[in-house]
Amino acid sequence: MYLTKEEEKMLNGEYGWAISKALKVIVSIGESLDAEKLINISHAHISGVSYGNIGEPGRKLIKEFADSGVKFSVKATVNPIGYDTMDYDSMPFTKIDRTYLKGQEDILMSLKKMGANLTLSCTPYYLPEVNYIEKGSSVAWGESNAVVYGNSVLGLKTNREGGPISLMAAITGKIYYYGLHIEENRIPNTRYVIRRPDDYELNEVRVGIIGEILSKLHNNEKPPFLDEYLNNDTLVKELSASLGAAGNIAMIVIKGITPQKIDENKLKETVIIDYNDIKIREEEIKPSEVPDIIYFGCPHANKDEIEKIANQLKNIENVKSQIIITTSREQISKVRKEVLSMLKEKNVRLIGDTCLIVSPFGYKGLSIATNSYKAYFYLSKKGMNVSLISIDSLKEVLKS
Amino acid sequence: MKELTGRALVKGETQGEALIIKEISFYGDIDPNNGNLIDGRNVKDKILIAYKPRGSTVGSYIIYALKENGFAPKAIVMAKSEPIIIAGCALANIPLVDNVDINGLKDIEDGDKIIVKENKIIILDK
Repeated sequence: MYLTKEEEKMLNGEYGWAISKALKVIVSIGESLDAEKLINISHAHISGVSYGNIGEPGRKLIKEFADSGVKFSVKATVNPIGYDTMDYDSMPFTKIDRTYLKGQEDILMSLKKMGANLTLSCTPYYLPEVNYIEKGSSVAWGESNAVVYGNSVLGLKTNREGGPISLMAAITGKIYYYGLHIEENRIPNTRYVIRRPDDYELNEVRVGIIGEILSKLHNNEKPPFLDEYLNNDTLVKELSASLGAAGNIAMIVIKGITPQKIDENKLKETVIIDYNDIKIREEEIKPSEVPDIIYFGCPHANKDEIEKIANQLKNIENVKSQIIITTSREQISKVRKEVLSMLKEKNVRLIGDTCLIVSPFGYKGLSIATNSYKAYFYLSKKGMNVSLISIDSLKEVLKS
Repeated sequence: MKELTGRALVKGETQGEALIIKEISFYGDIDPNNGNLIDGRNVKDKILIAYKPRGSTVGSYIIYALKENGFAPKAIVMAKSEPIIIAGCALANIPLVDNVDINGLKDIEDGDKIIVKENKIIILDK
Protein backbone atom coordinates (compact mmCIF):
# COMPACT_ATOMS: atom_id res chain seq x y z
CA MET A 1 0.00 0.00 0.00
CA TYR A 2 1.19 3.50 -0.81
CA LEU A 3 1.85 5.62 2.28
CA THR A 4 2.70 9.33 2.31
CA LYS A 5 5.87 10.49 4.09
CA GLU A 6 3.69 11.72 6.94
CA GLU A 7 1.93 8.35 7.24
CA GLU A 8 5.31 6.58 7.25
CA LYS A 9 6.36 8.78 10.17
CA MET A 10 3.15 7.96 12.01
CA LEU A 11 3.69 4.25 11.45
CA ASN A 12 7.33 4.41 12.54
CA GLY A 13 6.45 5.86 15.89
CA GLU A 14 7.55 9.45 15.43
CA TYR A 15 4.24 10.61 16.89
CA GLY A 16 4.22 8.07 19.69
CA TRP A 17 3.23 4.54 20.49
CA ALA A 18 -0.54 4.98 20.21
CA ILE A 19 -0.59 6.56 16.74
CA SER A 20 1.84 3.94 15.47
CA LYS A 21 -0.19 1.03 16.86
CA ALA A 22 -3.50 2.40 15.63
CA LEU A 23 -2.14 3.07 12.16
CA LYS A 24 -0.66 -0.41 12.04
CA VAL A 25 -4.17 -1.79 12.50
CA ILE A 26 -5.57 0.38 9.72
CA VAL A 27 -2.68 -0.39 7.34
CA SER A 28 -2.79 -4.17 7.96
CA ILE A 29 -6.52 -4.32 7.25
CA GLY A 30 -6.10 -2.02 4.25
CA GLU A 31 -3.45 -4.34 2.85
CA SER A 32 -5.67 -7.36 3.32
CA LEU A 33 -8.32 -5.58 1.27
CA ASP A 34 -5.79 -4.59 -1.40
CA ALA A 35 -6.50 -0.90 -0.73
CA GLU A 36 -4.12 1.29 -2.73
CA LYS A 37 -3.78 4.06 -0.14
CA LEU A 38 -5.15 5.68 3.01
CA ILE A 39 -7.49 8.67 3.07
CA ASN A 40 -8.29 11.28 5.70
CA ILE A 41 -11.61 11.08 7.49
CA SER A 42 -13.55 13.99 8.94
CA HIS A 43 -15.45 12.15 11.68
CA ALA A 44 -15.58 8.84 13.52
CA HIS A 45 -18.51 7.15 15.21
CA ILE A 46 -17.11 4.68 17.69
CA SER A 47 -18.93 1.40 18.31
CA GLY A 48 -17.82 -1.51 20.47
CA VAL A 49 -17.82 0.54 23.68
CA SER A 50 -20.18 -1.44 25.89
CA TYR A 51 -18.50 -3.15 28.85
CA GLY A 52 -21.05 -5.96 28.56
CA ASN A 53 -19.74 -6.61 25.08
CA ILE A 54 -15.99 -5.93 25.15
CA GLY A 55 -15.42 -6.74 28.84
CA GLU A 56 -12.08 -6.41 30.61
CA PRO A 57 -9.97 -7.00 27.46
CA GLY A 58 -11.67 -4.06 25.73
CA ARG A 59 -11.60 -1.82 28.78
CA LYS A 60 -7.88 -2.36 29.28
CA LEU A 61 -6.95 -1.72 25.67
CA ILE A 62 -8.95 1.51 25.44
CA LYS A 63 -7.46 2.65 28.77
CA GLU A 64 -3.95 1.94 27.55
CA PHE A 65 -4.48 4.17 24.53
CA ALA A 66 -6.01 6.93 26.68
CA ASP A 67 -3.21 6.71 29.26
CA SER A 68 -0.63 7.23 26.52
CA GLY A 69 -1.99 10.77 26.26
CA VAL A 70 -3.03 10.43 22.60
CA LYS A 71 -5.92 12.61 21.42
CA PHE A 72 -8.36 11.82 18.62
CA SER A 73 -7.37 13.37 15.32
CA VAL A 74 -11.00 14.00 14.34
CA LYS A 75 -14.32 14.68 16.05
CA ALA A 76 -15.80 11.47 17.41
CA THR A 77 -19.20 10.40 18.72
CA VAL A 78 -19.92 7.23 20.69
CA ASN A 79 -22.49 4.41 20.48
CA PRO A 80 -24.91 3.47 23.29
CA ILE A 81 -23.87 1.54 26.41
CA GLY A 82 -25.72 -0.91 28.66
CA TYR A 83 -27.58 1.55 30.93
CA ASP A 84 -28.91 5.08 31.34
CA THR A 85 -26.11 7.18 32.85
CA MET A 86 -28.60 9.33 34.81
CA ASP A 87 -30.55 6.39 36.25
CA TYR A 88 -28.81 3.00 36.29
CA ASP A 89 -31.98 1.17 37.27
CA SER A 90 -34.34 2.61 34.70
CA MET A 91 -34.42 -0.42 32.39
CA PRO A 92 -37.13 -2.83 33.60
CA PHE A 93 -36.10 -6.43 34.39
CA THR A 94 -32.42 -5.45 34.23
CA LYS A 95 -29.79 -5.28 36.95
CA ILE A 96 -26.51 -3.50 36.51
CA ASP A 97 -23.93 -4.66 39.05
CA ARG A 98 -21.01 -2.68 40.44
CA THR A 99 -18.32 -4.39 38.37
CA TYR A 100 -20.24 -3.67 35.19
CA LEU A 101 -20.78 -0.05 36.19
CA LYS A 102 -17.14 0.49 37.14
CA GLY A 103 -15.88 -1.15 33.95
CA GLN A 104 -18.19 0.94 31.79
CA GLU A 105 -17.37 4.20 33.57
CA ASP A 106 -13.70 3.52 33.02
CA ILE A 107 -14.25 3.00 29.28
CA LEU A 108 -16.21 6.26 29.04
CA MET A 109 -13.52 8.15 30.95
CA SER A 110 -10.85 6.85 28.60
CA LEU A 111 -12.85 7.83 25.52
CA LYS A 112 -13.52 11.28 26.94
CA LYS A 113 -9.86 11.75 27.76
CA MET A 114 -9.03 11.12 24.10
CA GLY A 115 -11.58 13.73 23.07
CA ALA A 116 -14.78 11.81 22.30
CA ASN A 117 -18.14 13.46 22.60
CA LEU A 118 -19.99 10.94 24.80
CA THR A 119 -23.23 11.06 22.82
CA LEU A 120 -24.02 7.41 23.68
CA SER A 121 -26.40 7.14 20.76
CA CYS A 122 -26.73 4.95 17.68
CA THR A 123 -28.25 7.86 15.74
CA PRO A 124 -25.27 10.23 15.38
CA TYR A 125 -26.98 11.49 12.23
CA TYR A 126 -29.42 13.54 14.33
CA LEU A 127 -26.61 15.49 15.97
CA PRO A 128 -25.88 18.99 14.67
CA GLU A 129 -22.11 18.32 14.65
CA VAL A 130 -22.66 15.39 12.28
CA ASN A 131 -25.29 17.10 10.18
CA TYR A 132 -22.78 19.83 9.32
CA ILE A 133 -20.26 17.43 7.83
CA GLU A 134 -19.97 18.23 4.15
CA LYS A 135 -21.65 15.76 1.77
CA GLY A 136 -19.16 13.49 0.09
CA SER A 137 -16.80 13.47 3.07
CA SER A 138 -15.26 10.20 4.14
CA VAL A 139 -15.94 9.15 7.74
CA ALA A 140 -15.31 5.97 9.74
CA TRP A 141 -18.41 4.71 11.44
CA GLY A 142 -19.14 1.58 13.40
CA GLU A 143 -22.83 0.84 14.10
CA SER A 144 -24.49 -0.62 11.05
CA ASN A 145 -27.72 1.42 11.02
CA ALA A 146 -25.74 4.66 11.12
CA VAL A 147 -23.48 3.41 8.33
CA VAL A 148 -26.45 2.79 6.02
CA TYR A 149 -28.13 6.09 7.00
CA GLY A 150 -24.90 8.07 6.63
CA ASN A 151 -24.16 6.70 3.17
CA SER A 152 -27.72 6.73 1.92
CA VAL A 153 -29.24 9.88 3.40
CA LEU A 154 -26.41 12.21 4.41
CA GLY A 155 -24.21 11.40 1.42
CA LEU A 156 -21.24 10.62 3.67
CA LYS A 157 -18.85 7.83 2.71
CA THR A 158 -18.18 4.99 5.10
CA ASN A 159 -17.79 1.23 5.23
CA ARG A 160 -18.94 -0.82 8.21
CA GLU A 161 -16.03 -0.43 10.59
CA GLY A 162 -16.64 -2.98 13.32
CA GLY A 163 -14.69 -3.92 16.42
CA PRO A 164 -11.95 -1.49 17.40
CA ILE A 165 -11.52 -0.14 13.86
CA SER A 166 -13.58 3.05 14.28
CA LEU A 167 -11.53 3.78 17.41
CA MET A 168 -8.24 3.31 15.54
CA ALA A 169 -9.57 5.56 12.77
CA ALA A 170 -10.49 8.25 15.31
CA ILE A 171 -6.96 8.12 16.73
CA THR A 172 -5.21 8.31 13.35
CA GLY A 173 -7.77 10.29 11.34
CA LYS A 174 -7.19 7.77 8.54
CA ILE A 175 -8.98 4.89 6.87
CA TYR A 176 -8.19 2.63 3.90
CA TYR A 177 -9.44 3.77 0.51
CA TYR A 178 -11.79 0.91 -0.16
CA GLY A 179 -15.43 -0.04 -0.76
CA LEU A 180 -17.89 2.82 -0.40
CA HIS A 181 -15.14 5.46 -0.17
CA ILE A 182 -14.65 4.88 -3.89
CA GLU A 183 -17.17 6.82 -5.97
CA GLU A 184 -17.86 4.14 -8.58
CA ASN A 185 -18.75 1.58 -5.90
CA ARG A 186 -21.66 3.81 -4.88
CA ILE A 187 -23.43 3.63 -8.22
CA PRO A 188 -26.27 1.08 -8.19
CA ASN A 189 -27.06 -1.27 -11.05
CA THR A 190 -30.15 -3.02 -9.73
CA ARG A 191 -33.50 -1.28 -9.31
CA TYR A 192 -36.05 -2.65 -6.83
CA VAL A 193 -39.70 -1.77 -7.25
CA ILE A 194 -42.35 -2.54 -4.63
CA ARG A 195 -45.51 -3.71 -6.41
CA ARG A 196 -48.40 -2.76 -4.14
CA PRO A 197 -51.92 -1.32 -4.32
CA ASP A 198 -52.28 2.34 -3.32
CA ASP A 199 -54.02 1.46 -0.08
CA TYR A 200 -51.12 -0.75 1.06
CA GLU A 201 -49.12 2.04 2.65
CA LEU A 202 -45.61 1.53 3.89
CA ASN A 203 -44.95 1.77 7.62
CA GLU A 204 -41.91 0.95 9.80
CA VAL A 205 -42.80 -2.73 10.01
CA ARG A 206 -43.21 -3.08 6.26
CA VAL A 207 -39.97 -1.27 5.40
CA GLY A 208 -38.21 -3.45 7.98
CA ILE A 209 -39.45 -6.51 6.14
CA ILE A 210 -38.40 -4.94 2.83
CA GLY A 211 -34.92 -4.65 4.36
CA GLU A 212 -34.99 -8.35 5.18
CA ILE A 213 -36.12 -9.25 1.66
CA LEU A 214 -33.48 -6.99 0.05
CA SER A 215 -30.76 -8.53 2.20
CA LYS A 216 -31.63 -11.92 0.73
CA LEU A 217 -32.28 -10.82 -2.86
CA HIS A 218 -29.45 -8.38 -3.41
CA ASN A 219 -26.19 -10.10 -4.12
CA ASN A 220 -23.95 -7.65 -5.88
CA GLU A 221 -21.35 -5.31 -4.42
CA LYS A 222 -23.06 -2.13 -5.60
CA PRO A 223 -25.81 -0.56 -3.49
CA PRO A 224 -29.40 -1.45 -4.39
CA PHE A 225 -31.61 1.30 -5.85
CA LEU A 226 -35.04 1.50 -4.23
CA ASP A 227 -37.52 3.05 -6.61
CA GLU A 228 -40.02 4.01 -3.94
CA TYR A 229 -40.80 7.24 -2.13
CA LEU A 230 -40.32 6.91 1.60
CA ASN A 231 -42.23 9.84 2.96
CA ASN A 232 -40.89 10.11 6.48
CA ASP A 233 -37.64 9.78 8.34
CA THR A 234 -38.80 6.92 10.57
CA LEU A 235 -39.21 4.74 7.48
CA VAL A 236 -35.75 5.59 6.18
CA LYS A 237 -34.21 4.96 9.58
CA GLU A 238 -35.93 1.62 10.14
CA LEU A 239 -35.04 0.47 6.64
CA SER A 240 -31.39 1.42 7.28
CA ALA A 241 -31.42 -0.49 10.56
CA SER A 242 -33.04 -3.54 9.02
CA LEU A 243 -30.49 -3.68 6.18
CA GLY A 244 -27.68 -3.32 8.70
CA ALA A 245 -28.99 -6.14 10.88
CA ALA A 246 -30.31 -8.67 8.37
CA GLY A 247 -27.31 -8.66 6.06
CA ASN A 248 -24.24 -6.72 5.08
CA ILE A 249 -25.63 -4.00 2.80
CA ALA A 250 -23.98 -0.72 3.84
CA MET A 251 -25.74 1.67 1.46
CA ILE A 252 -29.03 1.92 -0.41
CA VAL A 253 -29.88 4.55 -3.00
CA ILE A 254 -33.42 5.72 -2.24
CA LYS A 255 -35.33 7.74 -4.80
CA GLY A 256 -35.62 11.39 -3.81
CA ILE A 257 -33.60 10.91 -0.64
CA THR A 258 -30.07 9.84 -1.46
CA PRO A 259 -28.15 12.95 -2.53
CA GLN A 260 -26.73 11.41 -5.67
CA LYS A 261 -27.84 11.70 -9.28
CA ILE A 262 -28.80 8.36 -10.78
CA ASP A 263 -28.75 7.75 -14.50
CA GLU A 264 -31.68 5.34 -14.58
CA ASN A 265 -30.80 4.26 -18.09
CA LYS A 266 -27.61 2.76 -16.77
CA LEU A 267 -29.38 0.40 -14.36
CA LYS A 268 -28.89 -3.15 -15.54
CA GLU A 269 -31.96 -4.86 -14.14
CA THR A 270 -35.23 -4.32 -12.33
CA VAL A 271 -36.45 -6.65 -9.60
CA ILE A 272 -40.05 -6.57 -8.40
CA ILE A 273 -40.86 -7.12 -4.73
CA ASP A 274 -44.51 -8.11 -4.47
CA TYR A 275 -46.47 -6.72 -1.52
CA ASN A 276 -47.92 -10.17 -0.87
CA ASP A 277 -44.47 -11.34 0.20
CA ILE A 278 -44.28 -8.45 2.66
CA LYS A 279 -47.78 -9.23 3.91
CA ILE A 280 -46.98 -12.88 4.56
CA ARG A 281 -44.00 -11.94 6.77
CA GLU A 282 -46.07 -9.25 8.49
CA GLU A 283 -48.69 -11.86 9.42
CA GLU A 284 -46.00 -14.24 10.68
CA ILE A 285 -44.49 -11.73 13.09
CA LYS A 286 -47.49 -9.77 14.34
CA PRO A 287 -48.42 -10.04 18.03
CA SER A 288 -50.89 -12.74 19.00
CA GLU A 289 -51.75 -11.23 22.39
CA VAL A 290 -51.38 -7.95 24.25
CA PRO A 291 -47.55 -7.79 24.65
CA ASP A 292 -45.95 -7.57 28.10
CA ILE A 293 -43.47 -5.03 26.77
CA ILE A 294 -43.77 -2.60 23.88
CA TYR A 295 -40.43 -1.26 22.77
CA PHE A 296 -39.63 1.77 20.61
CA GLY A 297 -36.32 3.46 19.93
CA CYS A 298 -34.22 1.02 17.96
CA PRO A 299 -32.42 2.92 16.48
CA HIS A 300 -32.80 5.68 19.10
CA ALA A 301 -36.13 7.46 18.83
CA ASN A 302 -36.13 11.10 17.78
CA LYS A 303 -38.26 13.84 19.33
CA ASP A 304 -41.00 13.53 16.70
CA GLU A 305 -41.33 9.79 17.22
CA ILE A 306 -41.50 10.23 21.00
CA GLU A 307 -44.27 12.80 20.61
CA LYS A 308 -46.11 10.56 18.16
CA ILE A 309 -46.05 7.70 20.65
CA ALA A 310 -47.29 10.02 23.39
CA ASN A 311 -50.11 11.14 21.15
CA GLN A 312 -51.27 7.55 20.66
CA LEU A 313 -51.44 7.06 24.41
CA LYS A 314 -53.31 10.26 25.18
CA ASN A 315 -56.79 8.82 25.59
CA ILE A 316 -55.90 5.42 26.95
CA GLU A 317 -56.69 5.21 30.64
CA ASN A 318 -55.06 1.96 31.63
CA VAL A 319 -51.91 1.05 29.72
CA LYS A 320 -51.37 -2.62 30.55
CA SER A 321 -48.11 -3.18 28.66
CA GLN A 322 -44.82 -1.78 29.92
CA ILE A 323 -43.79 0.70 27.23
CA ILE A 324 -40.07 1.38 26.86
CA ILE A 325 -38.58 4.08 24.61
CA THR A 326 -34.82 4.36 24.23
CA THR A 327 -33.24 7.51 22.86
CA SER A 328 -30.34 9.92 23.27
CA ARG A 329 -29.93 12.61 25.92
CA GLU A 330 -29.84 15.14 23.13
CA GLN A 331 -33.30 14.14 21.83
CA ILE A 332 -34.79 13.93 25.35
CA SER A 333 -33.74 17.56 25.85
CA LYS A 334 -35.87 18.55 22.86
CA VAL A 335 -39.10 16.83 23.93
CA ARG A 336 -41.74 19.23 25.28
CA LYS A 337 -42.29 19.23 29.07
CA GLU A 338 -45.99 18.34 28.87
CA VAL A 339 -45.16 15.33 26.71
CA LEU A 340 -42.55 14.17 29.22
CA SER A 341 -44.96 14.40 32.13
CA MET A 342 -47.70 12.66 30.16
CA LEU A 343 -45.36 9.76 29.37
CA LYS A 344 -44.47 9.52 33.04
CA GLU A 345 -48.13 9.46 33.96
CA LYS A 346 -48.67 6.48 31.63
CA ASN A 347 -45.69 4.71 33.20
CA VAL A 348 -43.71 4.87 29.93
CA ARG A 349 -39.97 4.45 30.54
CA LEU A 350 -38.09 7.03 28.48
CA ILE A 351 -34.49 5.86 28.75
CA GLY A 352 -31.33 7.54 27.47
CA ASP A 353 -27.85 6.29 26.48
CA THR A 354 -28.82 2.63 26.00
CA CYS A 355 -31.17 0.27 24.19
CA LEU A 356 -32.75 -3.14 24.71
CA ILE A 357 -30.14 -4.85 22.55
CA VAL A 358 -27.00 -3.55 24.22
CA SER A 359 -28.33 -3.50 27.80
CA PRO A 360 -28.05 -6.77 29.73
CA PHE A 361 -31.85 -7.00 29.52
CA GLY A 362 -32.55 -10.66 29.04
CA TYR A 363 -35.79 -11.80 30.58
CA LYS A 364 -36.94 -14.52 28.21
CA GLY A 365 -40.38 -15.22 29.59
CA LEU A 366 -41.95 -11.99 28.35
CA SER A 367 -43.55 -11.14 25.03
CA ILE A 368 -42.16 -8.02 23.38
CA ALA A 369 -43.63 -5.99 20.52
CA THR A 370 -41.51 -3.42 18.70
CA ASN A 371 -41.66 -1.28 15.57
CA SER A 372 -38.04 -2.11 14.74
CA TYR A 373 -37.04 -5.02 12.55
CA LYS A 374 -33.51 -4.69 13.92
CA ALA A 375 -34.74 -5.12 17.51
CA TYR A 376 -36.90 -8.04 16.36
CA PHE A 377 -33.84 -9.61 14.71
CA TYR A 378 -31.47 -9.37 17.69
CA LEU A 379 -33.94 -9.96 20.53
CA SER A 380 -35.31 -13.08 18.77
CA LYS A 381 -31.72 -14.30 18.55
CA LYS A 382 -31.47 -13.95 22.33
CA GLY A 383 -34.41 -16.33 22.53
CA MET A 384 -37.16 -13.81 23.27
CA ASN A 385 -40.70 -13.85 21.96
CA VAL A 386 -40.79 -10.78 19.70
CA SER A 387 -43.43 -9.36 17.35
CA LEU A 388 -43.66 -6.28 15.14
CA ILE A 389 -46.13 -3.36 15.37
CA SER A 390 -46.03 0.19 13.97
CA ILE A 391 -46.29 3.34 16.10
CA ASP A 392 -49.59 4.11 14.39
CA SER A 393 -51.10 0.82 15.51
CA LEU A 394 -50.13 1.29 19.17
CA LYS A 395 -53.59 2.39 20.31
CA GLU A 396 -55.17 -0.57 18.60
CA VAL A 397 -52.67 -3.07 20.05
CA LEU A 398 -53.26 -1.78 23.58
CA LYS A 399 -57.03 -1.94 23.22
CA SER A 400 -57.24 -5.46 21.84
CA MET B 1 9.98 -30.60 4.97
CA LYS B 2 7.17 -28.84 3.21
CA GLU B 3 6.67 -25.17 2.45
CA LEU B 4 3.51 -23.14 1.97
CA THR B 5 3.27 -19.47 1.13
CA GLY B 6 0.67 -16.86 1.93
CA ARG B 7 0.41 -13.16 2.57
CA ALA B 8 2.08 -11.71 5.66
CA LEU B 9 -0.35 -9.15 7.08
CA VAL B 10 1.48 -8.81 10.37
CA LYS B 11 5.08 -9.70 9.61
CA GLY B 12 7.29 -11.73 11.90
CA GLU B 13 9.49 -14.76 12.39
CA THR B 14 8.76 -17.48 14.90
CA GLN B 15 8.40 -21.21 15.40
CA GLY B 16 6.32 -23.60 17.44
CA GLU B 17 3.88 -26.48 17.45
CA ALA B 18 0.77 -26.40 15.32
CA LEU B 19 -2.70 -26.24 16.83
CA ILE B 20 -5.53 -26.75 14.35
CA ILE B 21 -8.77 -24.82 14.72
CA LYS B 22 -11.00 -25.30 11.70
CA GLU B 23 -13.28 -22.33 12.27
CA ILE B 24 -11.98 -19.73 14.67
CA SER B 25 -13.90 -17.22 16.74
CA PHE B 26 -11.93 -15.65 19.53
CA TYR B 27 -14.99 -14.51 21.41
CA GLY B 28 -16.58 -17.38 23.29
CA ASP B 29 -14.16 -20.05 22.07
CA ILE B 30 -11.01 -18.92 23.90
CA ASP B 31 -10.63 -17.77 27.49
CA PRO B 32 -8.22 -14.80 27.49
CA ASN B 33 -7.35 -15.43 31.14
CA ASN B 34 -5.73 -18.82 30.56
CA GLY B 35 -5.60 -19.44 26.81
CA ASN B 36 -7.91 -22.45 27.03
CA LEU B 37 -10.13 -23.38 24.12
CA ILE B 38 -13.60 -24.70 24.88
CA ASP B 39 -12.40 -28.18 23.86
CA GLY B 40 -9.69 -28.05 26.54
CA ARG B 41 -6.64 -27.45 24.33
CA ASN B 42 -4.50 -24.37 25.01
CA VAL B 43 -3.27 -21.80 22.49
CA LYS B 44 -0.25 -20.47 24.43
CA ASP B 45 2.92 -20.42 22.31
CA LYS B 46 1.23 -22.47 19.56
CA ILE B 47 1.12 -21.70 15.85
CA LEU B 48 -2.63 -21.48 15.31
CA ILE B 49 -3.70 -22.97 12.01
CA ALA B 50 -7.24 -21.89 11.09
CA TYR B 51 -9.18 -22.57 7.91
CA LYS B 52 -11.64 -19.74 8.26
CA PRO B 53 -12.90 -17.11 10.71
CA ARG B 54 -16.31 -17.00 12.34
CA GLY B 55 -17.45 -13.42 12.88
CA SER B 56 -17.38 -11.61 16.17
CA THR B 57 -16.59 -7.96 16.67
CA VAL B 58 -15.01 -8.55 20.09
CA GLY B 59 -12.34 -10.87 18.73
CA SER B 60 -9.67 -8.15 18.43
CA TYR B 61 -9.81 -7.39 22.14
CA ILE B 62 -9.58 -11.07 23.04
CA ILE B 63 -6.45 -11.53 20.92
CA TYR B 64 -4.88 -8.48 22.54
CA ALA B 65 -5.84 -9.71 26.03
CA LEU B 66 -4.25 -13.14 25.33
CA LYS B 67 -1.01 -11.32 24.58
CA GLU B 68 -1.19 -9.06 27.63
CA ASN B 69 -2.00 -11.99 29.91
CA GLY B 70 0.85 -14.10 28.50
CA PHE B 71 -1.26 -16.77 26.79
CA ALA B 72 -1.00 -15.67 23.17
CA PRO B 73 -0.23 -17.99 20.28
CA LYS B 74 3.13 -17.34 18.59
CA ALA B 75 1.53 -16.82 15.20
CA ILE B 76 -1.76 -17.28 13.36
CA VAL B 77 -1.88 -18.88 9.90
CA MET B 78 -5.15 -18.88 7.99
CA ALA B 79 -6.64 -19.76 4.64
CA LYS B 80 -8.82 -16.69 4.95
CA SER B 81 -8.73 -13.86 7.49
CA GLU B 82 -11.01 -10.93 8.26
CA PRO B 83 -10.61 -7.40 9.70
CA ILE B 84 -11.39 -8.24 13.34
CA ILE B 85 -8.63 -10.84 13.55
CA ILE B 86 -6.21 -8.66 11.58
CA ALA B 87 -6.88 -5.77 13.98
CA GLY B 88 -6.24 -8.03 16.99
CA CYS B 89 -2.96 -9.37 15.58
CA ALA B 90 -1.75 -5.89 14.63
CA LEU B 91 -2.53 -4.60 18.14
CA ALA B 92 -0.88 -7.57 19.84
CA ASN B 93 1.95 -7.82 17.33
CA ILE B 94 1.26 -11.49 16.63
CA PRO B 95 2.51 -12.57 13.17
CA LEU B 96 -0.46 -13.25 10.88
CA VAL B 97 -0.28 -14.97 7.51
CA ASP B 98 -3.42 -15.45 5.44
CA ASN B 99 -4.31 -16.59 1.90
CA VAL B 100 -2.54 -19.90 2.51
CA ASP B 101 -3.79 -22.83 0.41
CA ILE B 102 -6.40 -24.60 2.49
CA ASN B 103 -5.47 -28.08 1.22
CA GLY B 104 -1.90 -27.46 2.36
CA LEU B 105 -3.20 -26.42 5.78
CA LYS B 106 -5.36 -29.53 6.02
CA ASP B 107 -2.23 -31.72 5.89
CA ILE B 108 -0.94 -30.14 9.10
CA GLU B 109 -1.76 -31.89 12.39
CA ASP B 110 -1.69 -30.81 16.03
CA GLY B 111 1.89 -30.91 17.32
CA ASP B 112 3.62 -30.59 13.92
CA LYS B 113 6.68 -28.31 14.12
CA ILE B 114 6.09 -25.12 12.13
CA ILE B 115 8.34 -22.20 11.24
CA VAL B 116 6.71 -18.94 10.20
CA LYS B 117 9.02 -16.63 8.30
CA GLU B 118 7.35 -13.54 6.83
CA ASN B 119 4.95 -15.01 4.26
CA LYS B 120 6.43 -18.54 4.37
CA ILE B 121 5.11 -21.45 6.41
CA ILE B 122 7.66 -24.26 6.80
CA ILE B 123 6.40 -27.60 8.10
CA LEU B 124 9.28 -29.70 9.47
CA ASP B 125 9.37 -33.48 9.04
CA LYS B 126 8.07 -35.51 11.95
